[in-house]
Formats: sequence, structure tokens, C-alpha cells
Amino acid sequence: MVRLVFLGKLGDAAPAELAEIALPGGVRTLSDLREWLGRTVPHLGQVLAATPTRLVLNQVVAHDMSAAVRDGDEVAFMPPMSGG
Amino acid sequence: MIVRVVEEAFDPQAETAAFVSGRDDAGALASFVGYCRAATDGTEVSELRIDHYPGFTEREIARLAQDIHTRFGCLDLAVIHRVGKIRPGDAIVLVAALATHRGDAFEAVRILMDYLKTDAPLWKKESGPAGARWIEPRAEDHGRRRQAGKEVA
Repeated sequence: MVRLVFLGKLGDAAPAELAEIALPGGVRTLSDLREWLGRTVPHLGQVLAATPTRLVLNQVVAHDMSAAVRDGDEVAFMPPMSGG
Repeated sequence: MIVRVVEEAFDPQAETAAFVSGRDDAGALASFVGYCRAATDGTEVSELRIDHYPGFTEREIARLAQDIHTRFGCLDLAVIHRVGKIRPGDAIVLVAALATHRGDAFEAVRILMDYLKTDAPLWKKESGPAGARWIEPRAEDHGRRRQAGKEVA
């Protein structure tokens, strides 16, 4: 299973059942995961396409979208931060 | 150094008193408290919700605070940030600095707040009679943050 965390306005666009998913077939990298989300949940895909989003893999900001996603990982999607 | 992200209301005066209690090495305490307002730009706000990313948010705020702690030679720093549902009038954030002299205490608080306003992993949603909206950093916050970056560079 892979835990997905959608923060801020992305949380409003993501259905609750995405919080934990079986790693979809063909998804090997962060880039694959993002494409899969866009195909599977078009509304979320539209919001992601319109929102500068940083990905966080296992609590570390990902700078490389070709980073591998494996069973047991946690991936967070961060829109621009509001600040404190 | 104290860094706490809390879901329940906190008393900034009591927290500040606890922070300085027993210290006889500091000549200066500076503190800032940010509160939830009942209106933003004339639009009524009945509730503010702040989302955070548990674990990640705490570590990022601690990293920002440690950076300021080191750069300004503070004796100690405290950051308490509220998350979750917040009512107008509630304290959102407390930043306090203890230093030998006032200059470092004032600067540490001001610059740490500038960092928090743009770099803290927090997401705010204001709700009121006119609806709800997610808040993004204001241009003036980014301007202050750039200035803060120059000051500590």
C-alpha cells in the first residue's frame, strides 16, 4: 500500500479513498504516480495541473520526479504554502 | 529551543512566562503574538482552518528556528504554532527570543516571523458568510522574506 497525503486545497479535490492505495500497475516513479492520478481522478488532475505542487516522498521534499515509489511509501502533494 | 505545533488553544502570556522562568542569563526578551482576525480586507471571517503535514511541518519550523538561533546568537527561542480550527481572537502563533541584548532579540523575532510567513508548511483556509477560500502568501510577505534573506546572508 502507498499512503497519499493531499495538503491545502489539494485535500479538497482528492477523494478520501486515495489516502491509502495499492500501488497501481505500471506506477514505478513519482512522475508515473502523478500521471496515474490525473487519469484516474480527472478533477484532481485538473487541480494539480493548475497548481504549482511540490511532492514529498517519505517526509523528504522530492527534487527528482523519476524517484522510485515502492510499496509502503508515503507521498505528499504540497500546493503553495500559506505560511504561518 | 521550544518548537510546538498544537491543535488546542494556547495562552501566549503563560507560555512566555514559562519560557523565561528561571533564566538569569538573558538581558532581553522579545516576543510576537499573531491573532486570528474577525475580518480580512473587509470580509468577515468566522473560522480559520490551518492544515499542516504532521512531522514534516514541525521539522521545517524547527529547522528555520535553529537557523535563526544560530545566526543571531540568541540564548533561546520559542515557537508555538496553532493548527486546526481557530476562532477569531485566538492566538495563532507565538515567537519569543531571549538574548543578552535587545537588538538580537528584536531581530531574531522579526526575521523568524518573516521566514514563517512564507516558508512554514502550513495551509490556511478562511471561512465566513461570503464562503471559504485558501490563502496564499501575499506579495508583501515574499518581499519581507527576500529582505530577511539578505539580512541574514
